[in-house]
Amino acid sequence: MLSYEYVKCTGLSEAVDILAKEEQAYPYAGGTDLMVGMRGGKFAPKKLVDIKTLPELNVFEENDQGIIIGAAITLNQIACHDSIIKNIPILAEGSHSVGGYTIRNRATLAGNICNASPAADTAAPLYTLDALINIVGPDGNRSLPVEEFFTGPGQTALKNGELVQSIFIPRPFPAGKGVYIKASRTGSVDLATVGVAVQNWGEHVKIAVGAVAATPVRAFSVEKAINEKGEKSSAEAAKLVNNDIAPITDIRGSREYRYHMVEVLVRRGLEQTMGV
Amino acid sequence: MRDKKIIKFTVNGNSEEREAVVGETLLKFIRDELNLTGTKSGCEIGECGACTVLLDGKPVNSCLVLAVELDGKDLLTIEGLSKNGELDRLQQAFIDHAAFQCGYCTPGMIMAARSLLERNANPNDDEINEALSGNLCRCGAYQEIRDAVKDSAKK
Repeated sequence: MLSYEYVKCTGLSEAVDILAKEEQAYPYAGGTDLMVGMRGGKFAPKKLVDIKTLPELNVFEENDQGIIIGAAITLNQIACHDSIIKNIPILAEGSHSVGGYTIRNRATLAGNICNASPAADTAAPLYTLDALINIVGPDGNRSLPVEEFFTGPGQTALKNGELVQSIFIPRPFPAGKGVYIKASRTGSVDLATVGVAVQNWGEHVKIAVGAVAATPVRAFSVEKAINEKGEKSSAEAAKLVNNDIAPITDIRGSREYRYHMVEVLVRRGLEQTMGV
Repeated sequence: MRDKKIIKFTVNGNSEEREAVVGETLLKFIRDELNLTGTKSGCEIGECGACTVLLDGKPVNSCLVLAVELDGKDLLTIEGLSKNGELDRLQQAFIDHAAFQCGYCTPGMIMAARSLLERNANPNDDEINEALSGNLCRCGAYQEIRDAVKDSAKK
């Protein structure tokens, strides 16, 4: 059994204060990555700061500007949200593909991106939606595009004492279809061996891929071929994804397998969303 | 010296007040403090679902929840299903369909399935697969488990 203190905060400022001032204090929401990481020796907290009941982090609302998803909102809440299913189904799909049903009752969207796995299933969809990460910390609030939030495997742009307050999906929502396609060793529960998000925006397409570089990345070469050069062949466009990635070999798949699968999944994604 | 906290909660309908060690999982608390050993410890990393319980009505992996989080909450474990020695219909359906071999995954399966039936009184195969996606059965009784859940829903 691990030994640490546990504090349930009543206000966001209290949580930020503790996280900024105390060494080895960790924010604790769903705990699905943190608990596993602690048991495996990846994290050794001295204090867990339970943030999941803070009202500021339980905001989940849609307004003229977009949809705000508080850091304590669970993946099941997102996957079952009517407006997200209707307007940005790619995010519902990405959220739904994390773990199993019971995990998603605890796991949060903010936690999935803060864990910063290159394979995070919600990341690639967020990259295609121009999502903003709203951060609160000892020096106040700031916002970052999701693509600047991921800085490496398990690494984020969060500074000491900062925590994600919410994720914002701005309007307008995509005009066209979006899909998240995941290759994994089992039908559910496992992390992605390769994850591909393709979002048709009507006039252009945005593509992001996961588990094939140190962070999730946009497939700019493929986007450019389609959006700027008018490439009509999904197969030809998909080949260019190799320029955008740097996969490694690990327990889930070899480097060569990932090169192959990412091309296949980008092609399928384009076929399903762009009809080319 | 490990930190302890007094927590108040209900378990299987009974109000309780206990000391919980900070850092202990809900799974360990249920088994070692409440002596409810129907909830099983499998992988302890949230992959297998053997430790599934209902916390405020929602299925969670008790190996990934802290015992101190039980404070103020309602807990339902497999022991809370039978009434006056009578199995509940989902438990009986598992027996009728022989929906297990070794039985180790069964309490978790039944808790996850119960939560599904509360949300959806008449689930189809896909909905059952989805709801039980976090529960693994090494004996491979999946077909019988699905039949048991469906049969129980009909009654």
